[in-house]
Amino acid sequence: MVTAIAYVRPVTIDEAMELLAWSGAVALAGGTRVNSDTTTRQVEVVDLQALHLGGIRAESGQLVRVGAMTTLQQLVDCDLLPAVVREAARRERPSTLRAQGTLGGCVATGDAESELLAALLVHEAVVHVEGPAGSESVALAELLAGLPLAGGRVITAVSVRTDGRAAAARTARTTADKPIVAAVARATPDGHLVALTGVARTPVVVRTGDELDPPGDFRGSGEYRRALADVLTTRVVEAIS
Amino acid sequence: MDIRITLNGAPQSVTCAPGDSLLAVLRRLGCFSVRNGSETGETGAAAVLLDGRLVAADVLLAAQAGGHEVTTVESLNVATGELHPIQEAFVESGALQSGYSAGAMVLATKALLDRVPDPSEWQIRDALSGVLDRETGYVKVVDAVQRAAALLRGEKPEPMAPVVVARLTDGAGGPVPDAPAAMPRLVPAADVPVTHVVGKGAAKVDAVKLVKGNPAFVDDIELRGMLYAKVLRSPHAHARILAIDDAEARALPGVHAVLHTFNTPRVKYASGGQSWPNPRPWDQVSFDDKVRHVGDRVAAVAADSIEIAEEACRRIAVTYDVLPAVFDEVEAIRPGAPVIHDEEDTEGIHDAARNIPRQVDGQTVSDEELEAAFEAAPHVFERTFHVQQQHTCPIEPAITIGWLDEDERLVLRSSTQVPFHARRMVAPLLGLPVKQIRVVKPRIGGGFGGKQEMLLEDVVGHLVLATRRPVRLELTREEEFVSARIRHAQTVTFRAAVDDDGHLLGLDHHVVGNTGPYATHGFTVQSVSGQRGLSQYNCPAKRYHADVAYTNRPVAGAFRGYGAPQALFALESLMDDVAHGLGLDPVELRRRNWVRTGDPLDILPALGERGAAEIAGELPRVTSCATDECVAQALRAIGWERRNDPAWRQPADRPNIRRGLGFALCMQATAIPNLDMGGASIKMNDDGSFNLLVGATDLGTGADTVLAQIAAEVLGVETGDVIVYAADTDLTPFDVGAYADSTTYISGMAVMKAAEAVRERIVLRAARLLGLDDPGQVELRHQQAWAPDGRSVTLQDVALHALHIADQEQIMATASHVSGESPPPFAAQTVEIEVDVDTGQVTVVKLVMAVDAGVVINPTTASGQVEGAMVQALGYALTEDLVLDEQGRAVNARIGPYWIFRPDDTPPMEVFLVQTMEPSGPFGAKSIGEIAIDGVAPAVRNAILDATGVTVNELPLTPERVWRALHA
Repeated sequence: MVTAIAYVRPVTIDEAMELLAWSGAVALAGGTRVNSDTTTRQVEVVDLQALHLGGIRAESGQLVRVGAMTTLQQLVDCDLLPAVVREAARRERPSTLRAQGTLGGCVATGDAESELLAALLVHEAVVHVEGPAGSESVALAELLAGLPLAGGRVITAVSVRTDGRAAAARTARTTADKPIVAAVARATPDGHLVALTGVARTPVVVRTGDELDPPGDFRGSGEYRRALADVLTTRVVEAIS
Repeated sequence: MDIRITLNGAPQSVTCAPGDSLLAVLRRLGCFSVRNGSETGETGAAAVLLDGRLVAADVLLAAQAGGHEVTTVESLNVATGELHPIQEAFVESGALQSGYSAGAMVLATKALLDRVPDPSEWQIRDALSGVLDRETGYVKVVDAVQRAAALLRGEKPEPMAPVVVARLTDGAGGPVPDAPAAMPRLVPAADVPVTHVVGKGAAKVDAVKLVKGNPAFVDDIELRGMLYAKVLRSPHAHARILAIDDAEARALPGVHAVLHTFNTPRVKYASGGQSWPNPRPWDQVSFDDKVRHVGDRVAAVAADSIEIAEEACRRIAVTYDVLPAVFDEVEAIRPGAPVIHDEEDTEGIHDAARNIPRQVDGQTVSDEELEAAFEAAPHVFERTFHVQQQHTCPIEPAITIGWLDEDERLVLRSSTQVPFHARRMVAPLLGLPVKQIRVVKPRIGGGFGGKQEMLLEDVVGHLVLATRRPVRLELTREEEFVSARIRHAQTVTFRAAVDDDGHLLGLDHHVVGNTGPYATHGFTVQSVSGQRGLSQYNCPAKRYHADVAYTNRPVAGAFRGYGAPQALFALESLMDDVAHGLGLDPVELRRRNWVRTGDPLDILPALGERGAAEIAGELPRVTSCATDECVAQALRAIGWERRNDPAWRQPADRPNIRRGLGFALCMQATAIPNLDMGGASIKMNDDGSFNLLVGATDLGTGADTVLAQIAAEVLGVETGDVIVYAADTDLTPFDVGAYADSTTYISGMAVMKAAEAVRERIVLRAARLLGLDDPGQVELRHQQAWAPDGRSVTLQDVALHALHIADQEQIMATASHVSGESPPPFAAQTVEIEVDVDTGQVTVVKLVMAVDAGVVINPTTASGQVEGAMVQALGYALTEDLVLDEQGRAVNARIGPYWIFRPDDTPPMEVFLVQTMEPSGPFGAKSIGEIAIDGVAPAVRNAILDATGVTVNELPLTPERVWRALHA
């Protein structure tokens, strides 16, 4: 198991960034992933709970800004957010881990099977990051492609669009299991966006004609995942048309 | 570091390490209701409330909880003997089986009801989705939450009671009354006598301690100076150990012992918990000089802490000669496969060079007669099936704590199903006489067969003897998956010869069973596969052959059903294919062949069962059977007629969906005849209550309760007047343990006999007190002894008289029971499914099982057994499969990727208990613990055939396999 050999709870972002610049430091949001990591290594955990990174607020231009330490359950319960995002947050983890796990943690780990990340991708999520070089706002797709986050950087919030019809579809072994492949689509003024889970290292936005080369595992071969991607993409696009 | 939390309302200052989980800290603080099920937050056994939110304390650092309010179920335990309404509801509904996660469930309920006083079923299932239960099927858990909500709203919910349903086969019919799913549907038989305690859903005798989270499990004790053990496990699937250098490990401060093949005696044994003498080969030693699967034992360490023990394991330098490995059972027995047991000191391997420890053969006719039957038959069907390794996944991992008592005897407190076998089997390994060892089974958090094994006791025993300190060894969840026991994978070829009307003319059942690298239960499980594959249908020519195969997969062992789920997946799938081929209704085809009362079970003697009939030179026969009624109930409840409705089968608004219904017939056994034995002892106390001492081993099934009910019925008292103490080799009579569906039938009969003997002493003395000449006139009921004229004395009067007044005696008796019969229970399983034909995804919409388990002693706990087994079976059907990579390392040894069903994806289900009066069972009872795991997989497979016309003959029925069949 990962063993925490030091625990700190900074109260300012600056302090947090400084602590996270250490090579053995790991940011601790809800703890559902760091504390369940079964690889053997020692880490110094920097708990972000005192940074006041919670809260969800509506902003102009059909945007909602969600604090990084907002729990998955708070996303589920928030009616400012699109229904597809809320349902994806519910599907992300079971009740216990949903009350604990956070949006920031979800983004920072970039789980390939995360339906929430796929939903955020099509809602044009922008991730707000504080780092030694200052504040920056990065498109979620770009951030996922660059994971893991470089040392000393802290995700503070995620902004998502709330407009546009959206739909999700998935194939899984059971109705609560992580999807083998899931597709989420959202209508945009100039067409639509589709994101998929289970076809790449992280959830990805796909465009018509994209060649997919999904890695297979015991739940689904690459060939099967490609077929699912086709079927599910068609379904979600039809659902929003 | 120091943290401050508010624990159950009181401020608390705690010193802990930065890496300590909240789970570990709460247990140190005495909150034993918070339990370890995983290190990854996946089981929810460690769920607590943090500022009122349900969180998993195994993946929350204690430091993270600093400054917050932590609530455990202990906060509800305000008074001795009293329960919070939520706890009351859990007891009433039968939602507690082992109760290992009871605290977590109660807290989940509290967190939900604090926000939503009247939740929907879906809200309940979602709120509980983080708390896994391997035992109940969640039906009764949902009922408990609904009941709790009603109680908290000031309402009075209906008491749990069976819903009586009229028989369909005698023409009575009539609708099924509308009632919550948690209430079992009871289909009574006319010849069952009236009883007062038996047949009622009495609350479990252990319910209070479970629902309060009182310290009751193996790990819930604190011993001064206890050491923590850790086992170094093999990273290789097959390798010889050339050398072990343990100097660095021994030098680590806090390490007290390091044991391995070069410093531990080499004593051969077989780890399967079975009657003496354990079946050969005995192919294991505590620490071998060869490892045969990834996760096999290499060495064991005892140290001051788990962390030190783990570090010591990392510092043991092992030199391996890595050997080629084989994982598939069919490949393993081919010439040229790596030889897994090439040692010279294992006796009784059938063919070591071919990796075949045992073969099993049994047939009712000669080979020539069988072949003639197949040649003459108008139709022959042959299919090959593959079934996978399924893990038992008890929420409580295997754990043993051992110490030397004040007499320097070794005490092993263990999560075992077989305390008496474990004591006998561990003694020679430790070089101790049996009398120097005491094995105690406290409450345990589920077993399902995996704990019918001497799994940790020898390691703990060796370490205790080496250190003379208490030693605790608990498996991690990953170790559970790779080093505990798992269901045998099998390759099954089944052939059936049938006439034009669908009558069976010949059945040929061929199995290659994958026992992993050790034979343990290999011979017996594969024997039972043959018994189950060739018993439930009449057929003039039957043959069974099994090769038990050594492989480098994790070790197979006992798992609920014990060879039956494999056999019945193959047989019941084949029967549907036969029906399909002949154009017959699949139920009608079976009806023409299934066994009924009086029919012979002719394969059993050929497969090694020595029941009373065989000893008398006769065939065992079915003594009670309600298959026809079970089938009628199961078909009606699933709406079988919808199979013929095209609009239902292919819903117009969902073009990619096909609906289907599937059926499977099941038959299990009840105890091993002339082998399984249980003992019971009853003594009477001053107040007219009784102590019942049994060797029987309650795994959470409710066995202690059922046994108390049997005693109470005979003695004319309530279940609560019988105080049960069980499964302690020093204090209770012998019992083989909890397996082979034997407890109610065998141990129950022992209890009944002991109670009858006690009753005899009571009525003698009561007759004297009542001035009656004939004690036969005395009747015991309502805690009193009654004369025919209506006078009575209380049992307390009788007890005080016996203990203190005249001709003093301790009224007590001991009895034991072994049966020459093994009366099978029968069951009909139906399922409704939807198949997405574009993706292959199968969604199970409803499960129905109607079971003939004789006269059910406790309908609440019995239906809970059926519900829970169906959910395990659903995992077998759809998800559960321990997958290895090319090196033999498990790729999904975590509950998430492995996937056991959760509250929020378990489908609705309905259970019918169809009574028959079994003449050889206590009050007419047969068994119910295992049969419900047999039918779901074939019924789902058959429903896919019904829905889509395609067959998948490999478990689990994953979306990709179904998709490939649809697109072949």
